[in-house]
Amino acid sequence: MTSSVWPALAALVVSAVGVLALLLAEKQWAVIAIIIAAGAAMFLARRFDWNERIRRSGAANSRKVFLAAMVLVVGAAFVMREHNFALLMLCTVMLMMVAGLGLTLQFGQAGVVNFAGAAFFGIGAYAAAVFATKTALPHLLVILAGGFFAALIGSVLVLPLLRTRGHYTALITIAFGILFKTFLEVNDALGGPQGLKVPGFVLFGHAFNDPIEIDEETEWSFYLAYAGLSLLLVAAAYAFVRRLERSWIGLAFDAVRIDETAASAFGVNVAAWKIAAFSIGNFLIGVAGAAYAMMTGFVAPTSFTFGDSLILVSIVILGGLGSALGLIPAALVVVVLPEKLQAIQEYRFLLFALLVIVILLVRPGGLLPRALRDYRVGAPR
Amino acid sequence: MRLATLLITVMVALATLPAQGKDTVRIAFIGPLTGGVSANGLGGRNSADLAVRLRNADAKAPYTYELVVLDDECKPNVGVQVATKAAADNGIVAGVTHYCSTVAMAAVDVYRKFGLPVIVWGAVLPDITYANDYKEVHRVNGTMINQNEAAARFMTGLRFKRWAVIHDTTDYGKGHNKYFSEDLARSGGQILGTFGVTADQQDFSAELTKIKELKPEVIYFAGLTPVGVRIRSQMDKLGVKAVFQGTSGIVSDAFIEGLGPLAEGVVAFREGAPAEKLPGGRVFLDAYTKQKYPDDPEAYGPFAFAAATLIMDAIDKVGPDRRKVRAELNRTKDYDSVVGKITFDDHRQNAVPLITRFVVQDGKWVVWEDSEYASGKRALVKK
Amino acid sequence: MDPGLLAQHVFNGLMLGVIYALVAVGFTLFFGVLDVIKFSHGDVVMLGAFTALAVSVGLTGGGVTSSPLVLAAMLVAAIASMALVGALLARLLVLPLRRAPAINVLLITLMAGTVIREGVRLFYPQGSNPKPFPRLLPGGSSELGAFTLRHDSAILFAVGVLAIVGVHLVLTRTRLGLAIRAVAQDPETASAMGIPFTATVLATFAIGSALAALAGVVNGLYYSEISFNLGLLLGAIGFSAAVIGGLGNVYGAILGGFLFAALQTIGAVALPFASAYKDVFAFAVVIVVMAIRPAGLLAERSAERV
Repeated sequence: MTSSVWPALAALVVSAVGVLALLLAEKQWAVIAIIIAAGAAMFLARRFDWNERIRRSGAANSRKVFLAAMVLVVGAAFVMREHNFALLMLCTVMLMMVAGLGLTLQFGQAGVVNFAGAAFFGIGAYAAAVFATKTALPHLLVILAGGFFAALIGSVLVLPLLRTRGHYTALITIAFGILFKTFLEVNDALGGPQGLKVPGFVLFGHAFNDPIEIDEETEWSFYLAYAGLSLLLVAAAYAFVRRLERSWIGLAFDAVRIDETAASAFGVNVAAWKIAAFSIGNFLIGVAGAAYAMMTGFVAPTSFTFGDSLILVSIVILGGLGSALGLIPAALVVVVLPEKLQAIQEYRFLLFALLVIVILLVRPGGLLPRALRDYRVGAPR
Repeated sequence: MRLATLLITVMVALATLPAQGKDTVRIAFIGPLTGGVSANGLGGRNSADLAVRLRNADAKAPYTYELVVLDDECKPNVGVQVATKAAADNGIVAGVTHYCSTVAMAAVDVYRKFGLPVIVWGAVLPDITYANDYKEVHRVNGTMINQNEAAARFMTGLRFKRWAVIHDTTDYGKGHNKYFSEDLARSGGQILGTFGVTADQQDFSAELTKIKELKPEVIYFAGLTPVGVRIRSQMDKLGVKAVFQGTSGIVSDAFIEGLGPLAEGVVAFREGAPAEKLPGGRVFLDAYTKQKYPDDPEAYGPFAFAAATLIMDAIDKVGPDRRKVRAELNRTKDYDSVVGKITFDDHRQNAVPLITRFVVQDGKWVVWEDSEYASGKRALVKK
Repeated sequence: MDPGLLAQHVFNGLMLGVIYALVAVGFTLFFGVLDVIKFSHGDVVMLGAFTALAVSVGLTGGGVTSSPLVLAAMLVAAIASMALVGALLARLLVLPLRRAPAINVLLITLMAGTVIREGVRLFYPQGSNPKPFPRLLPGGSSELGAFTLRHDSAILFAVGVLAIVGVHLVLTRTRLGLAIRAVAQDPETASAMGIPFTATVLATFAIGSALAALAGVVNGLYYSEISFNLGLLLGAIGFSAAVIGGLGNVYGAILGGFLFAALQTIGAVALPFASAYKDVFAFAVVIVVMAIRPAGLLAERSAERV
């Protein structure tokens, strides 16, 4: 059974243009028009049953579509080459997706709830701050160190996590998140409430914080370099998570999430897979935190509150639990919308919250719910 | 793909169309518009907005101004994001930025990077101007050093000897605690105990019961209005009898509104003369009342107004060019404003030698010298 | 330590515990009937307090001066309107998401909480400032050495305890309580027995939210001050207390509330490090307790549903 690549590609291009327009839109009416257009597109897609065709086409040509998406991001970044802020948003969305992929692995797939996402993001960020200032470690390794430390410190929670489930696990991570933020704030060793400065990313002698000079007249935004880095990270993380999901490991994760007792009766090592999902997830979140810290140049405890953890969680839920693809629209909604609503100033949180409520009522399973595994002969994997 | 390219080009063209008529100049205002200290942010926003309105109503002004208002939520990460938004937008010529010190510290590098001249209107941490040499960053309000020096000298002058210190664990509270403790030691006061509290804490009975045991004469509180209201109110609940001394963070109408009669006899210090004492300040307050803003200007509103006015004067003079405006602002000397004369030193910090001492009397912040406490009619410590 | 001061610390902790317990009982009730966490609960507490405040401002402005009358009106208005709000939230947001993953309910109620919080901040006059709460209870105090027992605090403590006892009686002695317990144990069987599922769920949410309103008024009267964001941390603590106690167990929630208050007080008073570490201490103990008793201190007997 072959399915044409065109429906998926068309959907991709249309969405990319929409996203680009949203990132560059300055006027309030333009933002509102784009939101309405997105809603209309979703409605039309459902009305004419395009969703299923797009999904099948995408699943059958996943590699091509993945490459096309990368090309489109590069293209979009190029279009925005002189728009610093739009590029910053693009980078933030991509890094939030990396963190969201970590969380998806944890509780979307293996069912290990994590409400301390911001704390692990913060560990990565602080690790980057310390390693980049105190050591001569190459910066690519600094980013990996951020992920490594997030996983390492997360292992403190492994014992209580293995013993608890569901909301009880949630409480442990909530407690850890609040504890982490308060500790950073009252303890002066890591800058206290004042936070730390983080040097910019340097790769093979090129400082990412320098604008890219093309000639006398034109200067491209230095965020272009970070966009490249973020794209690299998010592509790697996405490919990795999708690969895991489709492998026997993903099956084990699903088994652990759906029914621990049944899973262990079938010989699945529940504890081992929970630890694996939790650590790999934290690693991804930490990597995102480290890269984000180097991009923004500053870390402080107030960036890693319980509220920020909830924002990360809402990205994962909004996209559709366990759905890696759903993270893209969800991250856009959560990161970009409040920013684009700046013009309504103090009313923007109210509107944002109402919007999320409406989305959840219309699509209780999230924006792009995870598809069921399809094991029919010849089914696209 | 060709269709996509075309669409992208059209979209970009649409999005980058020139925004307004030719004489409009945009300046940014950044402050906390949501969250716990939003009262101060909204007061500052309204004050800056007032400055712009007054200027636009003036037919002789060479430009029409538009205030671009951004919310930093009092969070450094959000602050960096909105600072980048303002600084990266070449249409924005200058900015009136930040009430929260942590946010200002995070954002100054961004202004440097993009070359956006800004004037800080409320954050008091000394490092914002003194820990760097960024020509872009100016500040019209004073720092916490001046404030605490005056506070320590004044209070020991009233023959108080024993203090307990409560500070919030943000940079604001910690900084105040540091400077006040040093200055108090120099003035001969004694600190019996220091308590750090988080900025979102609700219950202080444990700390206050401990303080009750220490029997201090004065409780020095370094933090912002919401926590200050709670501590003062819970002192009463637990029978802790001590004078309540605050920092500039509680000099707000919200503090008195939140406490009612309990606010009586609270002392606090703020740099700069009170608005109503200055000829320009009176005008500011009247104009503010006339606009019917739903929120009060709060203590730092006049500074935001002065900063916005200073920026617009500079732009009127040298034109909407960041580098020229920066140079013009750097040169500011003996500039008359609603908060008194503004002169920037070599770190572009306004020298604010005058520290005003306030005491709450009959539900109002009254300048100490004019109060019945100073004349001896009332006493801070009730017999 | 001076016994008077010790008594003071103990009473402070107990008072805190009552407020936490009132909030935690709500969490545990909701979890009992629907297996969901309603994160807007803390903000309902806050909305209850602001409703009471608005009523008192209105009445006092209208010339009513009798404290007991004003207080009664405040309580009735706050409790009735929050019960309604609770039932509405359940009807409009929680029940429609029954078939979605349970965690989606968490997100939607979280957002509902944000809407309530931002709504109060923006639309209550000067809503972003802390508001003074009227002192309507007799103000005297008894001094026993270094222990100051304010009469209003003592009354509030008693009211809190009575409310908790009242909920206990409703759950164990009434037909409604029976229905709630039946739905909590097994919704399908309960429906088959003729217990109206939706009505029972709505009643539970109304009761839990009425308790939240009471917690809000007690909180306001005790601290004499309320602000729009008081529900945020109170909600997180109430949830923690309910979970430590064992979700779905009312006694567990009460125990958890008092335990959390005790931890915070001990963290601030008795430990050698700075009092700012008290939340670090309290939450660290929570993690350890959960590691030792993974389903809470008083675990629901059917916690292992396999």
